[in-house]
Order: sequence, then structure tokens, then C-alpha cells
Amino acid sequence: MTGVVELDGIRVTYGDVTAVEELSLSVRDGELFCLLGPSGCGKTTTLRAVAGFESPAAGRVVLGGRDVTGLAPYDRGCATVFQDWALFPNKTVAENVAFGLKMAGVPAERRRERAREQLATVEMTDHADDPPGELSGGQKQRVALARSLAVDPEVLLLDEPLSNLDKRLRETMQLEIKEIQERLETPMLYVTHDQEEAFTLADRIGIMNDGELVQVGAPRTVYDDPVDRFVEAFLGSTNFLSGRVVAGTGADTGVGPDAVAVEFPVAGLRTPVPAGDDLAVGDDVTASVRPEVVDLAPAVDGAAASTDGGAASEPDATGHADGRAILAGTVSEVVYRGSNVRHHVAVGDGAELFVERPVTDAPGLAAGDAARLSWDVTDAYHFGPDGARVRP
Amino acid sequence: MSDADAVGEGRPSRPALPSLPAVTRTRLLLAPLVLFDLLAFVVPMGYLLRVSLSERSTRQALVRGTWSVDGYRFLLESSLLRRVFVFTVLFAVVATLLAVGLGTAYAYAAWQASGAVRTVLLAGIVMSMFTTLVVKLFAALVVFSPNGVVNDALVASGLVGTPLRLINNEIGLVIGQLYVVLPYTVLSVYSVLTSLDEHLVEAANDLGATPARAAREVVLPHAVPGMAVGGVIAFAWSAGAFAAPALLGSKSELTVAVEVQNRLTSFEYPVAAALSVVLTTVVLAVLAAGLYGLRRRGGGHDV
Repeated sequence: MTGVVELDGIRVTYGDVTAVEELSLSVRDGELFCLLGPSGCGKTTTLRAVAGFESPAAGRVVLGGRDVTGLAPYDRGCATVFQDWALFPNKTVAENVAFGLKMAGVPAERRRERAREQLATVEMTDHADDPPGELSGGQKQRVALARSLAVDPEVLLLDEPLSNLDKRLRETMQLEIKEIQERLETPMLYVTHDQEEAFTLADRIGIMNDGELVQVGAPRTVYDDPVDRFVEAFLGSTNFLSGRVVAGTGADTGVGPDAVAVEFPVAGLRTPVPAGDDLAVGDDVTASVRPEVVDLAPAVDGAAASTDGGAASEPDATGHADGRAILAGTVSEVVYRGSNVRHHVAVGDGAELFVERPVTDAPGLAAGDAARLSWDVTDAYHFGPDGARVRP
Repeated sequence: MSDADAVGEGRPSRPALPSLPAVTRTRLLLAPLVLFDLLAFVVPMGYLLRVSLSERSTRQALVRGTWSVDGYRFLLESSLLRRVFVFTVLFAVVATLLAVGLGTAYAYAAWQASGAVRTVLLAGIVMSMFTTLVVKLFAALVVFSPNGVVNDALVASGLVGTPLRLINNEIGLVIGQLYVVLPYTVLSVYSVLTSLDEHLVEAANDLGATPARAAREVVLPHAVPGMAVGGVIAFAWSAGAFAAPALLGSKSELTVAVEVQNRLTSFEYPVAAALSVVLTTVVLAVLAAGLYGLRRRGGGHDV
């Protein structure tokens, strides 16, 4: 046991519904761990099981080396920042912050002093005597944070604390929380459905789906190396192409003995996928081609020479040239999104891919233009029939 | 005649109404209500006041057309009536405190419960209000009588040797009155609790408060407006209690309302009226004090 929080195979059920299934995770000392997942995936339930608001039907909750599975919330030594902040409306800001110390029997004088310190940390000293009802969302957020930190918790639990704030304030608060966390080194378990928020804040991310922890890792690792189709879809928008294995290993795929050939009917591609024995003929395969790896250029007709060297050489019968998949399409829409431009490109059969380019590097295509898409086949991620990643 | 006037005259279907100023219209709309209030409350109260200031008579209910404060003087001089008054106020205070205390506990239990339990707890309260007062009180008579269910259970459990006397005394009176007012205190407290964010209780627990401590620190302050409203209802009703004392009390537990009835049947109208006026004044004073206290404290609470 090394972590401040150790969840050991916990299962939480509501009647017949299993909200969390056999979940184990560990929050290390001093780290900010984000539980990330879509709504209803069980991430908040997991947090509530740590806080003691839900009692797991199975498994153990260990906080700071102490098994707290059967203990009530007030005996656990963790503190929660709620989504709606849950400030006590009939107490002043300072009384809110001092509440936990009051419960712990700290003398009034010392409580006031500590509350003032905590309010200074979040720059709310001027509002010490205000009722919380008069504060703005961001100020309430700060008070809630100060109130939880005042009890010096073993671990701070945050349940989507920023989701009631507007985008700009949310980004400011993310940085503030990160800054406070790095300064105090209080371990935090942070629940969010917003992947950008998780990437901004987290030392490590745990991605949940359907009551299970799917993948745990540093933000970069998780993004670069998704374990399955769900993670790939959840972490950002991407293009999915459906295909099927048409030739098994050993067939002449041109990549090596371990590759299978996958045909993507929509794109007219027949791509070698290094899969070992993971895939058999007839298996459904999904390829993810992220919008930033796709190269977009005006179509080259026939013999017309390419403007950028060899990248525009003619594709072979499988739709590839020089290790790149090549696809012809028609631009259907160009959307300016501030710093980047998103191009939607119809590639036949009603299918559409989208490609993102920085505004400064846009190819200058307009709706209706013929275009040529290409990507390095090793940049695509492939997922098997069960959604698991097919690894080279 | 301008064109605009011509257009106005072209729609003769609504000739008079649009010309009324807004204030007049508001007053017209309020008129039926004011008239009802006048007929139902102000006129009878005025009549009551007038009767209370009439001369007493030994041969008839009162002497018409006379002015006298005899009724009030009698009230001050009669030790029986003073006792009745003190007893009534004391009884109303006890019934109110119990009703608010039990009602708050019940409402909190119902609020904390979920699903079927909550439904049963609330339905029990609401359904008890479907029955008339008299039937409810007779039911209490049966339940709390010396050979009723409660005493049977107490004796069977060995807690008491002989059945306790729970009716035809002060205890019976208070029990009967609680039957009457408890639903109102429960519902008024429950209604404010529904606006309490359940996360507040969790937040308190999370910061180290035991459930009892969280109830005191978070739930109780929130429930105060509901307790005050329930308390005012309970007090007003208990101060004027007639049915419970008549059915579950005895000759020695006289409330003002019962005494008013006694005086009326013995044709002492001025005394009966004076008693009623003083009781009404006391209740109104308590009501005003309660609402004033709430406004000073609450601010944000709509009561």
C-alpha cells in the first residue's frame, strides 16, 4: 500500500443497478488524480464511496493506510468540494470555513485565526463576514475550497467543482486549483467529465466507462496510447472508419508476416494492420484517424505535377502510396473555429471525414472544392471487434 | 374629431372599460374580496366588541343599546375566569411546544427517509386530516382510555403495573390537541425542509459533524421559518381549543372556548363576548410577534 487513497475492488450498487464494478485505484501522496468519464459512468459514485456517502457492497476503502470502509463520513479525515459547493447559507463565509474546526473542537480564537489564513489563501479575506448567498459563483468556489482545506484533509475530494462556472472562469479556477495543489501538496481526487479540464489539472487520469476503470496514466500517455475505442472516442473528436479483415496473417500484405489486411469500404482502402494473432478474417475493425494527422491538399488530377514533392504520388490499387493512405473527396464545409479551421470532407457513400488545420496553415479550400486526403498509416489507431486496441 | 377617435368609435363592442385608470381597476377587482372580508370578519368582530361592551342583565342575554365595561370588569374580578385564562394560555404554550418539537422531528424523519417510507410518513399525516376533528378525538378516546390499546401495551410490556390515566385530565387534553395541530406543524416544517439542499447535510458530515450535530447546525436553522409558522398555527388553534377539552378533558380543565360556551348557555353574553375579545387579542399579539421575529431574522425567507 503506497497510496493515500487505495480503493481495492469496490463495488457500489443501487438496488439492481451496479454503479461501480470491481474498481481498484490508488491516489499517490501529493498528486492530483482525475477521474474522467461521461455522465453516469460511476465516477461521482466512486468519489462518494471514498467520502463515505456510499457504502460499497464489496471491496475496501483505505485512506492514509487506515481501512475506513465501514466508517461514517465524519470519521474519515477527507473533505469534499461539492458540485453545487454546498455552503451553509445561514453562516458567514468565515463561519463556513471554520465549520470543520468547530466540529473538531478547536477553540473559537484559533478557529477564527485559521479561517482567516485559509481565506487569505484563496484571496477571499474581504468577504469573511458576508453571507455566502451574496457571493458570485467563482467566490463560492473559493470559499468551498478554503472550507475543505481548513480541516487539513488526508485527501481532498472534488466533485465536478467547476461545472457550474462559465468557460473563462473555469479556466482561471483550474489554474488556481492546480497552483494551490502544488503549493500545499494535498492529494486530490478530482471528478470531471471534461477532458480538457482533466488534461489541464491532472498528474494522472483514470478514465471510467460503465462503472469500470478503463485506463490510468499520465495525460500524455493516455492521449498518445489509448487502450480501447472508448478512450479514443472520449478523449477528443476523431474520425472513425469501419472495416473488416479480408486476409489473415501470412497473406501478402506487404508489411510483414504479422499483419492482416483490413478493407475499409467507405474509403476504398485496403490497409495492412500489424496485429499478430489478435485478428482473424471476418473480424470488424475500426480505425481512428485523428483530425490533426490528416494532410489535406487540393486534388491533383492525373498527370499534374505535385507542388510539394513526392507526397502526391499516385496511390496503388490498395489506396496507398509511400506508406500513406490516400483518399479523394469533396470539401462539404469549412468551419472557422477561432485558432483553427475544421474542414469536413465528403469521401463518397455519405461518409465524411474532418480535418483540422491551424488558421495560419489552412490549405485555402472552400466548400465544393475537390480535395485529397492522406495520412501515414502508422498514425492511425486500430481497434478490434471488442473495442480493444490492436497493437503492433 | 381626429382620425384616431374615429378608429376608436369603430369598435363599439367595448365602450366603457378602457377609460378606467389602472388604480380604479385594481380596486374594482379587489372589491369582492374586501366585501367578503368585511362580511365574514370585520362585521362579526365589531358586533362581538359591541356585545362585550353592553350591560349585563339577569333576565336576558344583554341589555340592548347600553354601554358598560361590566363584562371586562367581571373578567378581572372573577378568580375562576382568571384561572381559566391562565390555564388556557399555559395549555396552548405546552401544546404548541410539543407540536413544534414533535412536528419538527417527524418532518425531519420524513425528509431523511426515501421512497416508500417517506410516502407512508407523509400520507399518514395528510390522511389524518381527511377525518373530522370529532371523529379523530373519539378515536383518541378509544386509543388512550384505561383499557385502550396504549394502556394494554404498557401493561403487557410490564412498564407499568396498572393502566395509566391518559384521558379526562391535562394529559388527555394535550394528547387530543396534538391530534388536531400536529399535522400542521409537520407539514409547515416539511415544506421548508424540501428546499434544503441535501448536500448541505453531507457537507456537514464530511467536515466532521455527526448526524445530530449536522441536524442542529444545518437543518434546524433552515427549519426555523417552518417551525414559526407551525407554532403560530398551533398556538392560535390551541388557545381557542374547544373540541379537545370538551371531549378529552374533564370539568377541571376549562379552556376559554369552553367557558365562552358555558357563559353563552347561561345567557351572559357580555362576559362571553369580553372573553372572546381578550382571547382574540392575545392570539393576534402572538401572531404579530411571531411574524415580526421571523422577518427580523429571516430576511430572505418568504413566509
